[in-house]
Amino acid sequence: MKGISLAYNYLRIGILNEFQYRANLYIQILQTFIALATGLIGLNLVFSQTTALGGWSKPELLAVMGVFTLIGGIIRAAIQPNMERLMEEIREGTLDYALTKPADAQLLISVREFRLWQIVDIITGFVVLAVALSQLNWLIDLWSVLGFLSALVMGSMMIYSFWLIITSTAFWFIRVQEIANLFEGLYAAGRWPIDIYPNWLRYGLTFLVPVAFAISIPSQALTGRLTLETWFGALVFTVFLFLFARGIFKLGLKGYSGASA
Amino acid sequence: MPSVISLQKLAKHYQVPEREAGLKAAAKGLFKRQYKNVKAVDEISFEIQPGEVVGFLGPNGAGKTTTLKMLSGLLHPTSGSASVLDFEPARRSHDFLRQITLVMGNRNQLSWDLPALDSFDLQRAIYSIPADEFKRTRDAFIEILEVGDLVQKPIRNLSLGERMKMEIVGALLHRPKILFLDEPTLGLDVTMQKRIRTFIAEYNKRYGATVLLTSHYMADVEALCKRIIVIHHGKLLFDGNLSQLAEKFSAFKTIGFTLENPATDLSQFGEVVSTDGSRIVMRVPKEKTSAVTSRLLNDLSVEDLTVEAAPIEDVIESVFAVKKEAVE
Repeated sequence: MKGISLAYNYLRIGILNEFQYRANLYIQILQTFIALATGLIGLNLVFSQTTALGGWSKPELLAVMGVFTLIGGIIRAAIQPNMERLMEEIREGTLDYALTKPADAQLLISVREFRLWQIVDIITGFVVLAVALSQLNWLIDLWSVLGFLSALVMGSMMIYSFWLIITSTAFWFIRVQEIANLFEGLYAAGRWPIDIYPNWLRYGLTFLVPVAFAISIPSQALTGRLTLETWFGALVFTVFLFLFARGIFKLGLKGYSGASA
Repeated sequence: MPSVISLQKLAKHYQVPEREAGLKAAAKGLFKRQYKNVKAVDEISFEIQPGEVVGFLGPNGAGKTTTLKMLSGLLHPTSGSASVLDFEPARRSHDFLRQITLVMGNRNQLSWDLPALDSFDLQRAIYSIPADEFKRTRDAFIEILEVGDLVQKPIRNLSLGERMKMEIVGALLHRPKILFLDEPTLGLDVTMQKRIRTFIAEYNKRYGATVLLTSHYMADVEALCKRIIVIHHGKLLFDGNLSQLAEKFSAFKTIGFTLENPATDLSQFGEVVSTDGSRIVMRVPKEKTSAVTSRLLNDLSVEDLTVEAAPIEDVIESVFAVKKEAVE
């Protein structure tokens, strides 16, 4: 209960903060538009040569692009800013204030920042998804909607956990910004469905960086490719990754010394 | 009365990577790091009773902040133990954290772009303060500090002193029983320092809170603290009343007097610290004070003669100087 109240209050503060910087909204709209345009051009180029890519048709790939944009928006709105702040506070020793609060430290560091204008990406993602689904003559059925939404939550949790693990290494290595930048590059690989990549890369992306899981599974749910086994596998992997991330974070806190004075 | 803060041989050691300057040493450090064990806090013990305001003094790097961080649960002690309100701070139990606060003069926790009022609401959520109690406390603090017109301005538009007032309000909204204040008046002008001091004193009186305060401004310490604890190189040097400190460590007293003939040579009496017209201030060894005073009165025509203990700044300085010699 308290967690929800806390998250709500931080969200409120975050939104209030964002309203101070209205220009960011316009910049965000521009950025989203450019990203969308380049994505669509790429997709059309590919499909001017062929009608299917690794078993995926054009509207299906458009759906993947929608999910990619959507999850990218969630990451940049809620996950990345919190992790960057944590990274900075570990380095500068300003994490102290968060740790003297009577609240779960992990919860606190995970909800402090929120970038409202990234919502443009989230909305755009949904729109692209809707267009793709209408091209697929998709019939709304409860199971695939539930599958999609649960996969979206699991995907976001995986990426959050993965990012927390990387950020927590800052407790020992202090400078991990470069590793975090690497993630952005790897995330870009999620633009295409995982099964078009060679095996070695596919497993790398899935288990080392759960990008593939995060984007492919919601897409699979929508296009009728998701099996129950995969869904359960994703669930187990999500829980495992979350617990692992929590463990690493707690271990890091224990050794936290803070920059002195 | 049982103590609220209790330290038993509390120690914190750091492993600090150490290398010589230069590229070659840096490259060597990539493979084999040399570590040096630094004893930031070296087996300190003391007890603090409920409601006490204690000044925690020491030069930079003495271990003050490290001690405060251990007491507020941020750092795990290397050895020894600390107990605050019967809690072990390092466990960071929520019941413990709800009753303490840590204010650091060089860091802020309020949201930079928002008015303080918004950040205060956040504190309410974090500490689960009941709405009416929160409002009462907040408004009382705002009134005492006279910041009614400032709480609606974004923090970034406030002056350093105004910002600090807001920080203190934010840090005390949950009405903690224990206050750890690390340089709360750092960088503030004299008036602002005074306001913050008055507020801390008022809070202590109103809620019977216990305060452990570090400051480089002796005025803070003199105004607020009956008792002081001095540490240096992580070791406890002194624990007692402010006056006792002067008694114990000051080797000098100051004699002030007005001299009819300012041209008189005073070198045989002692060291002249300052001359302001005919007003002279001299520093003499403590044990010679009475002899020098009577000689001054007999040999010269002096008026308004006063004998005072050395200013607290000088005392503290001599404490550290004495100890340094002893260590070396």
